[in-house]
Amino acid sequence: MKQANALPEDRSSLAYKAKRLFKRNWSGWLLMLPGLLLFLFFVWAPLAENVLLSFSETKGFESVGFNNFENYVRVFHDPMFTKALVNTFKYIFWSIIIGFLVPIVLGLLLSEAVHFKPFFRLGIYFPSIVSGMAVVIMWSYLFDPNPGAVLNQLLTALGLPVSTFLSDPDLTIPLIVVTMTWRGAGGTVLVYLSALQNIDNSQYEAARMDGAGALARIWHVTLPHIRQTIRMLFILQIISVFQVFYEPLVMTSGGPDGASVSLLLLSYQYAFQSFDAGASAATGVILAVIIIALTIVYLRLSRPKKNTVSRKWRKYAKKTAQ
Amino acid sequence: MKRWLCAATSALLGGAILFSAAACGKGDDKIKVSIGMWPDPTLTQDVKMYKQWEAAFEADYPEYDIVADRYEYSADTITAKATSRQLPTVFQTYFTEPQKLISNGWIADVTDELEELGWLDKIDANMREAVSKDGRCYGVPRDGYGMGLLLNLEMLYDVGVIGKNGDGTYALYDEEGKPLYPTTFDEVREVSELIVESYDNTYGLVILSANNNGGWQFSNMAWNFGCEAMQLKGADGKYTANLNDAGAVKALEWIRDMAVDELIYPDASLTYADWYAKFGSRNVAMAFCGSDSIMLPVTNFGFDKDKIAFVPMPTGDGSSRYSLYGGTPYVFPSYATKEQIKGALLFLKYMGRSPETDEISLKAIEKGHQTAKSKGMPIIPTIRPWTNAEYLAAANALDEQYINVNLAYYDDFFDTLPEMKRAEEPYYCQDMYKLLDAAIQNVLSNKGTANCKSLLDTANSQFQKDFLNKVN
Repeated sequence: MKQANALPEDRSSLAYKAKRLFKRNWSGWLLMLPGLLLFLFFVWAPLAENVLLSFSETKGFESVGFNNFENYVRVFHDPMFTKALVNTFKYIFWSIIIGFLVPIVLGLLLSEAVHFKPFFRLGIYFPSIVSGMAVVIMWSYLFDPNPGAVLNQLLTALGLPVSTFLSDPDLTIPLIVVTMTWRGAGGTVLVYLSALQNIDNSQYEAARMDGAGALARIWHVTLPHIRQTIRMLFILQIISVFQVFYEPLVMTSGGPDGASVSLLLLSYQYAFQSFDAGASAATGVILAVIIIALTIVYLRLSRPKKNTVSRKWRKYAKKTAQ
Repeated sequence: MKRWLCAATSALLGGAILFSAAACGKGDDKIKVSIGMWPDPTLTQDVKMYKQWEAAFEADYPEYDIVADRYEYSADTITAKATSRQLPTVFQTYFTEPQKLISNGWIADVTDELEELGWLDKIDANMREAVSKDGRCYGVPRDGYGMGLLLNLEMLYDVGVIGKNGDGTYALYDEEGKPLYPTTFDEVREVSELIVESYDNTYGLVILSANNNGGWQFSNMAWNFGCEAMQLKGADGKYTANLNDAGAVKALEWIRDMAVDELIYPDASLTYADWYAKFGSRNVAMAFCGSDSIMLPVTNFGFDKDKIAFVPMPTGDGSSRYSLYGGTPYVFPSYATKEQIKGALLFLKYMGRSPETDEISLKAIEKGHQTAKSKGMPIIPTIRPWTNAEYLAAANALDEQYINVNLAYYDDFFDTLPEMKRAEEPYYCQDMYKLLDAAIQNVLSNKGTANCKSLLDTANSQFQKDFLNKVN
C-alpha cells in the first residue's frame, strides 16, 4: 500500500537533474561555493543591478523608480553619445591599422631573427610589464605640444614642423592607439611567435626547393598557418578596443571637444562627473550589446575549420609545377 | 577521503570569508571621527602637526578617537564614496558642490550643532549661502578665494614691464602709483607678446581647458568682458542660459586670437594641476588662479616665492572687473552620528578653523603658520570665513607676525576684492563649466576656423535644455 502511494520521480525534470548533478559531485560544488559566492557578489549582482539601473530614475547609485526607456532616449539624444560611438569605431579603425598589423610584423621579424633573439623578445615584451597608468602618463609627457618638449625637439631636429599632438583632433585617437600599441603589442607578439614556431620547417624547405622567395613563403606558408590566430586576435582586439577607457581619460579627458571620448569613458563621465547613474548604466548596456554581437561573430569565426593550409599549399605546388 | 578533504577545504574558505566579513564591524567603544583632510604621508611636517592636534584633542575628549582617513574630494569619486558609506566624518569640498551633495542627500545638516557651539551667526554671509539650503546649514567654510592673475615677476622685469626698487624688490607701480602690471586683457596680450619674443618655448599665459577648469576660469573672463551673467533670472523667477552673451563671445574670441598668435600654452586639455606645473616650470609667465593656491608652484616646483605677485583680474571692456569668489567648506556625511559630527566640529577648533579665540584655537593657527614657514611656503593674508571681530583681530595679528612675502605684490588684489568679488553662477555650475570646456577646447584645437559665437550658441542651448529647464 505504502509503495503504491509513492509517486515515481520524474527523471526528465530539471530539479531531478540538478539534484543528481549535485549528488554526483557534491564535494566539487562545495569547493566551488566560495568562488561562486564571490562571483555572485562582485560580478553577477552588479551586472544585473546595472541593467535595472538603466531603466530607472536614479539618485546617486540608487534606483528611485522605473522610468522605462527614458535613460536610453536621453543618451541617444546626447550629441556626445554620437561622438563617442563614432570615436569608438575610429579607435577600432586605427587599432587595426596600427595595433593589429604591428604585432604581426614584429612576430614575423622576431621569428626570423638569428642573433640576440631573447634580447629582442624581452625588448618587445618589456613595455607590457610597465603599469598601464605609468605608460599613458609617460606618453602624455612625450606628446607635450610645447616646441621644447621631447618629441617636438625630435621633429625639429628632423626638419619637420612641430605638432600639437593630442590637442590636434585629427591626431588624438591615432596617438592614443600608438600608446596602447606600444604597451600591448609585446603580449600579442608572443602569441604570434608561438604560432609561428609551430610551423613545420620542412614546409619552408619544400617551398624553398620549389623556388619560393621570402615573400612567397610568408604568403603561402606562414600566413595560412597563423590565419586562425590572426582571426582570433583580430576579434579580441576589436572587443578590447571597444572598452578603451583610461588612456583617453588620463591623456585628454576625452578632448579636445570630445574628439577622443569613447563609450566607456562617456559612461564613466555620466556616472562620476554628471552624477547620472541611469544614463551611465544605459550606455554600459548599449556597449555590452555591441560587444555581445561582436563576440557572437568571434565565436562563429573561431569555429574549427578544415585545414586550409594543405589546400592552399596544394594549389601553390600545382601552380609552380606547371 | 579526497571528497572529505575537498569539503573541509571549502568549509574553511567559506568560514574565512564569513569571519573577515564579521571582523569588519568590530571596534572599540570610542566615537570614531575620521578626518578626510589629513595630509598626505609624504608631507611629514604637516602630518606631525595633525598628530599634535590629534593628541591635544584626544587628551581633552577621551571619548573620541581621531582617525586619519585622507580623502581628496573629486566629482569622480564622491558618488561611489557616498553610496558605499566610505566617506570620512569630515572632508573638504568646493563651494560649487554643496547644493549637489545636499540634493543627493549625501551631506548632513549641521545647523543645530553650529548653533549649539555659537558658530552659526559668525559665518561670512556669502560663504554661509554657499553651504545652505532652505535656511539650513550643511557645512563649515574653511576659507575663501578670489580669482586673480599670478605673475612671474622675474620674467615681467626682464621684458621691461615692471621695474625694480632701490632695495632690489620689484616695482609694480609707476611714480604716480599706477599699476605697471597688466590690468586689461589687451595688456595681458601685449605682455604675452613680449614674453614670447624674449624667451624660447615660453608663453605669456596658460588657459585651462579640461575637467571643468576651463569653464571655471572662462566664466570670470566673460563677466570681465561685459557679460552680465551666464544665468539670467527673469521677472517670473525662471532662469535663462546666457552663455552666448556678447561679452562671453568676446572672451572666447580673445582666447582664440591668443591661441592663433601662439601666445598661450598650446595644449587643449589642460587641467588644474597644469597651471602650476606650467607656471612653476617657467613655461608661462602668467596664470589665472585662486588666491588660496598661490603657493602651489612654490611647494610643487620650488618656485621662488619672492618672484610671485598676485594682482586683480584684468578687465576686457574697460569697466567690468570681477573676481570669481569661491572657497572650501568642510562637510559631513549624512550618515555620520550627531556625536561624530560634534567631535569633528570640535576637532576643527583644534585645527584653528573655528571662530573661537581661546588658547587652543590661536595656538593651532600659529602652528599652521609655523609649519608653512618652515616649508618655505608664502604666507599671505587669508580670506576668513568668520566675521566676529575678536577672531578677526586675533587671527590678523598672528598673520602679521608670520607673513613672509612682500605685501606690495598682493595689496591691489586684497584691497579690491571686497568690491570685485562675485559668487559663481547659481545652478549646475560644474555642468556649465563642462560645456564651456568643450567650447574652449574647440577654439584651441581649431584655432583658425573656430566660430566662437556658434560654439557658445551650442553650449547655451544644451545648457538650457539639459540643465536650466530642470530649475524652472
